[in-house]
Amino acid sequence: MTSTAPAVTTPQLRQALSGEVMLDRPGGTMPRLLRFAAATLRRRPDRAVLAVAGVGLAVCAVVVVRTIAVGYQDAGVQAVHTALHGAPYWAVPAGGVHYDPHAGTLVADGVPLQQAPAGWRAITTLTGTMPGRDDVALIGTQSVPDGVAQATPAALSALRLHGGDELTVGGATLSVRAIEMPGTRIMVPVDVARAAGAVSGWTTLTPPAGTSDAGSALAADTGLRVVGDPSIRPDPGGTGLIYATDAGGRSGFLSFESKFAALLGGAVTSSVLGLVAEVGLVLGFVIAVTTFIASVHERRREFGIMASVGLSDEVLYFFLVESIMVFVAAFLFGVLAGGAVVALVLPSFFSFGSWLAASALVATYLPALAVVAALIPVHRLLQQRPVDLLAEHS
Amino acid sequence: MTELSLAAPDPVVRAAAHVSPPALALSYGLRATRRRWRGLIAPALTVATGAALLVLVAALMPAVRAQGKAFGDAAAIGRAAVTVSVLVLVVGALEVAITATRSVSSRSRELGVLGSFGVAPRSVVLALMVEPVVTSVIGGALGSVVGGVTAVMASVTGWVDASVAGPTLLEAVLTATAVSALAATTASALPSRRAAHRPPLQSLTR
Repeated sequence: MTSTAPAVTTPQLRQALSGEVMLDRPGGTMPRLLRFAAATLRRRPDRAVLAVAGVGLAVCAVVVVRTIAVGYQDAGVQAVHTALHGAPYWAVPAGGVHYDPHAGTLVADGVPLQQAPAGWRAITTLTGTMPGRDDVALIGTQSVPDGVAQATPAALSALRLHGGDELTVGGATLSVRAIEMPGTRIMVPVDVARAAGAVSGWTTLTPPAGTSDAGSALAADTGLRVVGDPSIRPDPGGTGLIYATDAGGRSGFLSFESKFAALLGGAVTSSVLGLVAEVGLVLGFVIAVTTFIASVHERRREFGIMASVGLSDEVLYFFLVESIMVFVAAFLFGVLAGGAVVALVLPSFFSFGSWLAASALVATYLPALAVVAALIPVHRLLQQRPVDLLAEHS
Repeated sequence: MTELSLAAPDPVVRAAAHVSPPALALSYGLRATRRRWRGLIAPALTVATGAALLVLVAALMPAVRAQGKAFGDAAAIGRAAVTVSVLVLVVGALEVAITATRSVSSRSRELGVLGSFGVAPRSVVLALMVEPVVTSVIGGALGSVVGGVTAVMASVTGWVDASVAGPTLLEAVLTATAVSALAATTASALPSRRAAHRPPLQSLTR
């Protein structure tokens, strides 16, 4: 070039451009990128609000489902813990056991083990409902002393009882004691529950001291399978199954209780509810992508100028920062809205802890969505020549 | 046409002399929507997805409840499923509104021309709203039908253990279509209003 104009180097251009865009305000690269992204979002406020609302509502749907799942799972851990009493083997009936949130406890679906191996300590727990009252669970357990019925506050109010009252059930008169526990249930001695018609149940088994290879002995003695994996369900046509609960020592990373409860939580997320929420998340992602594509389309000349002075790589950062801002705002909105929805529509499932856990879970996969949502429009943009971007019409 | 005093050569203008401004705005909006139908497929599909899910969940409510019974409160799980489906449908409808913002901004000059010819902003808003309303109603109806047919098929073939009640299905279809139309219209109203009330000169030079 024979031009007399001073040579303009790329860094100078870069500086000039960034100076013009950023209005020479102080700060490093990151604050500048943030300010630029905020300014871009402000330029189309309605679209930014719609994008945040769309992604936020999708996050909200997922938070609702996850909160239910986590709450269910937490309650399940407690219930399994209570049911096992620390016993190393757990014989469940052919129908298995399930967690009943209303009763606040595990409920068996079938008759318990009839004959325990000789010398083993066997504790049977029976589950049923109060005679004439389907809404109150009746649990026969050895942990209740004779002549006593332990009732949760919900059960007390359902039966219009108070601590110290007398309750006649299964032909026995029991003295009612209030216990501060969730759920609607009354716990009575096993004999009383059996007399009151509770036939379902399970048995926890503890081998005699000094037994070697207790699992094989138990399997041989009872004729039932002994498994350590709670995802294995008993054969509905069989006579039951025995879980080795590895009480005392953990095998692997998760305890038996956690594994069992994780199955309960998984049941929620893989149900219709979970599937609907996941479709919602996909739609939210589509919203984010189309928002950015619309933004790219309108700013093609701006990007053409940037690309023609060699700033095409920087475009990715602009979009990344914009996308992250949208997703962070949507996350905050969605998490708060999700908590509100659960608390208002499904108060029985709401707990602060499970809501926090659900929010944390959603937070783990949103960053990946944010990055991909930014990459798609940038990829489309970088496939075009700067000259084409600068053209009046596409 | 006897009372035609205005000897307009253009049939469109001649027709315009006989129709009221709202009808004119609607037909203008409808023509614009037809012209831009390609861009409306994606938002119609997102609405359809949400509507199909809502109808499926509502029509197969007995099965959803039965599944929810495994985790306890069947009624609460049924309520949760409907709530989550409505949320998802609204997400789908918001896509319509985002498309509306895109459409409004790309038609900025056209709106400027309309404004400088003295077309009332109200008529412009009416014309602009045709697109989101048509998209969301078509998407919602399409999704509802797909969801309804799927629900009936699933229950007839015995894939899902629940019968589908006719009134419930109809109610679900109407609700899904109404929710998608309402959500999309509400969300699109603001960008359309803003664009229609912008001074014409500003719209022309954008």
